[in-house]
Amino acid sequence: MAQTTSNAAQGLGQATTLASGFQFPSLHNFPPFYTLQPTASTWKNQSDLWGTIIMRYYRHHRLYQLDLDDSATNDQLFSNQRINRRLNSETIQAIVEEMVKKGDAEWDATSRKRRAIIYWRKPEDWAAMISSWVFESGLNNSILTYYEIAHGENSEDQEFFNIHPAVLQKTMDVLVKRGVAATFQGANFEEMGVKFFNAGV
Amino acid sequence: MGGKPSKPAGAKITPHDRAILDLKVQRDKLRQYNKRLEGVVEKELKLAKGHLAKGEKQRALLALRRKKFQESLLEKTVLQMTNLDELTMSIEQAMVEKQVFAGLEAGNQVLKELHKEMSLADVEKLMDETADSIAYQNEIDELLSTRLSVADEEDIEQELDLMIEEETKAMLPKTPVSALPELEQQEVEEEDEEPIPTKKVAAKNKKALNGPVLA
Repeated sequence: MAQTTSNAAQGLGQATTLASGFQFPSLHNFPPFYTLQPTASTWKNQSDLWGTIIMRYYRHHRLYQLDLDDSATNDQLFSNQRINRRLNSETIQAIVEEMVKKGDAEWDATSRKRRAIIYWRKPEDWAAMISSWVFESGLNNSILTYYEIAHGENSEDQEFFNIHPAVLQKTMDVLVKRGVAATFQGANFEEMGVKFFNAGV
Repeated sequence: MGGKPSKPAGAKITPHDRAILDLKVQRDKLRQYNKRLEGVVEKELKLAKGHLAKGEKQRALLALRRKKFQESLLEKTVLQMTNLDELTMSIEQAMVEKQVFAGLEAGNQVLKELHKEMSLADVEKLMDETADSIAYQNEIDELLSTRLSVADEEDIEQELDLMIEEETKAMLPKTPVSALPELEQQEVEEEDEEPIPTKKVAAKNKKALNGPVLA
């Protein structure tokens, strides 16, 4: 498949670039890329490639959640009007399933595999980023709300600004497990908080 | 501590922490409310402009009135937010002060314990004893030095005499050789040879005259 794809891809013309500056690989113009390939090895390749595109796309647009029922977002990513092809939602689901297996995504437990968090950055990486931010801002031993971390004035220039609540929770779980933070229980995201300790970075 | 994995000291959430969190949560909520109001104000302004452009002065006025009201709300929330922020900061400051106090207290405790280990009486006694020892040492020094001088004084003086004598002997002959011209010197020598009374000096002179030749 890989051989065929790259050969075929060469004849696919200019790769699509979105208004946001995101550039699809030229493979995006390859019609069979939009059909679930029945051969196991081909499918693995195909889902890997789609996984990479999804991660890049989500990273570029700072998106966190993939919702199979959110066709507005998905249309831009999973369809190609030029060749009149689109991934159907079963195939997207199968691709996400592969990503979940690799740890690149995680299903929302309550969504019955309709929504997933895309980890274009691992919670461990976020954890390192947030704890060094805490250390550098001298916030050790103080209490922060989740809202403050994700949307506060202090974190405006940080990469985790506007981080998805579920990703933030995962990140906090990592920090709590390491013993560098303790979380408060709150009724909802806005009432959640965390205390960082003086344990260094 | 229980079977839980060890956590750094102070890794606990106290009711104080909870209170701070509640304050911060309130502040966050206000901030969100604030953002919403800002959006609304902007929208009203746009509406007013739109109405005015269409010549609907009355509706533009209404929108502006609403905007004014929302702006007053905004001002209030900003004030409330400042209050909340100040309160949280005061609490945090107080907590820091409490930690400083605890640190000072611990330091004081250690100092006290150390002091307990050396009472004033003990120190005084120790100092007295030390002073005694020093005095004793001084006495020994004095004794030793006096005895030394008495015993060796004669020897030393004798040695000094010997040194002076040798030095004079070494210097005597040189004087005539360098100071007088040769002819006069011979005359002087001839004259001098007779009156010199002691054998010792004559011998010495001969030796000195021979000295340079030998060398």
